[in-house]
Amino acid sequence: MILNLLLFAMIAALLIPMYEAWQDDDIWQKMLAFASISTKAAIMILVVSVLRDDWMIGVVGVIILSVGNAALMLLAQVIKRMSDVLQG
Amino acid sequence: MINALSYFCIGLGIIFWFWGTFPLLGDRSVLFKLHGLTVADTLGSMSIIVGLLLKIPSEWPLLILALISLAMWNTMLGYVLAYCSSSKESHDR
Repeated sequence: MILNLLLFAMIAALLIPMYEAWQDDDIWQKMLAFASISTKAAIMILVVSVLRDDWMIGVVGVIILSVGNAALMLLAQVIKRMSDVLQG
Repeated sequence: MINALSYFCIGLGIIFWFWGTFPLLGDRSVLFKLHGLTVADTLGSMSIIVGLLLKIPSEWPLLILALISLAMWNTMLGYVLAYCSSSKESHDR
């Protein structure tokens, strides 16, 4: 019951970076919001896995934590290189 | 007792999350937002995972792995994002 309420609070916290990523046009602000979304979503998956007592879901959360952040890092490098090339 | 402690840790983590996420909506620079967001997200998420660890100690390998990847990746991602977002302006000058 309490864990359910805490999950609702987490969903509310997740909506803030989603709104930011939607309304801001600057690419780095968007990347920042996406990094926040990925961490928050992974932690929420872990909470849900405790709530349902199902550790297959928990493994997915940990994989997102490690691989998702690495992917964001590579994406940031690609965006930087692209903007350097486009500017000449 | 342990149950109350775990709920306290999770609640503290959610407070950290909100504290670091609300400045995203303002008009400050990317680096200011990045610093607050990285610190608050990492500390809040680690606190939430410690709360979960207190709740179900039998799954400690998975949760410790989550803690370590949070502590390593989030700090590294903060540095890389700061480097990538700020080097463009230093090229221009």
